[in-house]
Amino acid sequence: MTGFWAIYRRELWSLWVTPVAWILLTTFLLLQGGVFYSIVSHFSGATELSFDNGPIESYFGQGSIFLLMTLLLMCPALSMRSFAEEQRSGTIEPLLTAPVRASAIVLGKYLATFTTYLLMWSPTLLYPVILRGTGVVDPRVVASSYLGLSLLGAAYLAIGTLMSALTKSQLAALMLSVLVQFGIFVLGVGEYIFEPGPLHALCSHVSMLSHMEEFSKGIVDLRRIVFDLSLVVLALFVTTEVVDSWRWS
Amino acid sequence: MPLPGPMIEALNLSKEYGALSAVRDLSFSVSAGQVVAFLGPNGAGKTTTLRMLAGFLGPSRGTVRVLGHELSEEPMRARRAIGYMPEAAPLYPEMRVAEYLSFRAALKLVPRSERKLAVKRAMDLSRVAEMRNTVIGHLSKGYRQRVGLADALVSNPPLLILDEPTAGLDPNQIREVRELIHGLAREHTVLLSTHILPEVEAICERALVLHQGQLVADGPIGELLQRRQARRVCWELRDATGVAKSLLESLGAKTISQADASHSQILTLETEWAHDISDVELQLEKAVAHLVEHQVGVRRVETARAKLEEVFSALTELQPTPLTDAPEIQRKEPRS
Repeated sequence: MTGFWAIYRRELWSLWVTPVAWILLTTFLLLQGGVFYSIVSHFSGATELSFDNGPIESYFGQGSIFLLMTLLLMCPALSMRSFAEEQRSGTIEPLLTAPVRASAIVLGKYLATFTTYLLMWSPTLLYPVILRGTGVVDPRVVASSYLGLSLLGAAYLAIGTLMSALTKSQLAALMLSVLVQFGIFVLGVGEYIFEPGPLHALCSHVSMLSHMEEFSKGIVDLRRIVFDLSLVVLALFVTTEVVDSWRWS
Repeated sequence: MPLPGPMIEALNLSKEYGALSAVRDLSFSVSAGQVVAFLGPNGAGKTTTLRMLAGFLGPSRGTVRVLGHELSEEPMRARRAIGYMPEAAPLYPEMRVAEYLSFRAALKLVPRSERKLAVKRAMDLSRVAEMRNTVIGHLSKGYRQRVGLADALVSNPPLLILDEPTAGLDPNQIREVRELIHGLAREHTVLLSTHILPEVEAICERALVLHQGQLVADGPIGELLQRRQARRVCWELRDATGVAKSLLESLGAKTISQADASHSQILTLETEWAHDISDVELQLEKAVAHLVEHQVGVRRVETARAKLEEVFSALTELQPTPLTDAPEIQRKEPRS
């Protein structure tokens, strides 16, 4: 992929040189720290512990409503600039006349936001280390939890990248992707509303809550992975088509 | 760089935005080493044409070939041969000049080992080297324009496409850019657009004149300038007998404005030649001789240089537009 690395490096650099990533990182870590603190203080008072319900499971699983809410804002904020800003400022013109394919541009931009996403989560790796000081932490559960988070973020960011290509305004891109993600989230809540049947099956399949619930318990379900990855592929494919279509507008 | 075949050719290029056709059936070819200007008033389709040549916009109909590579079939090969500077040179404001050019060089497939040198060369040529570590967002308009030019030059492409390279610059900067393009012409083929005629005179050997999306003239600058006859004359006459005005009118000079005479004998007026007079210079000679013959003192005769709009009018054989700015053809800017 010619041009991919150049785009990737520039996007990553641009995300961290502007205040966006730092503001997001600070807010994000404060929130996560608060959630983690309350979970730990809850468990420190608990007398009985079941083996599949510890602080780690809580943090990524049952407590994940907080986690999902932060992701719901963090991912769109990370991806909103990608194409919206290029369109607004006109820099898309030199970009599209360089000998680079649209797919390389889309992939470079997307992977830069995804890398930033992973970097934002990396400080939370300290939490399991802290917990190990006082008890047993199953590294496989930690690994599957982070896998679940990465997949969720990958899907959210792909949707955000597509939304950013659909508008010239960063704010509109932000709101559109929050809307779509919130839609998927609400659809997943249907799991708790509908009687078992096709609707229930659909809702539980897309449910982000049970997605994280499962991964936090160390259950790695291929269907979840396939669902998330197909969201990524679909969104990025459409984004590439959108970028290519600008030539014909 | 002598190459067989044209550097760039366009065949029946058309572009429509909905019902509006911005460019209509444009065909031309430019051979290596030429410096060609696209001329036309605002809205004539210059930017749309250059965007199609650079591969930013796809034509509604027609093809573009760069060094024999069709832009729609082999876009990567064709685009590699082009250094394009879009109108107003959009840049990333958060990057430093050298960083940006290095990024662009990487994007344009300049090998890593040569990148530093390529960036330095481009910065030296477009005279932005002293700003190498300045954040682009802090640069003045003139410098930004030059960074855009450096971007077009960084991969040393055989073909340069520059959209209004001197727009928004002060006279000194305009002269510098002109000299730069003149220097580049030795090794590169240059296509540029402008709506300022003197600019073309100074650097281009050939002009393509666009009017309402159509090619109305294609030829050497000299030929174009021959049509550039001013139809306006300012007179200052000592008119003791009061015949000057009627004399001029009998020769086909219509009075447009007349200054209030503070001195009763001095007549200051501006005239325009009637449209049926083809050689206005000859007519002027005749008029002066005529006035002198009738004892009118000719103190000052000044022919206004024709505005580009008037040249276009001559080329398109339309009625000349009034001297106020030519009515702009309303054109929807392409999105993105």
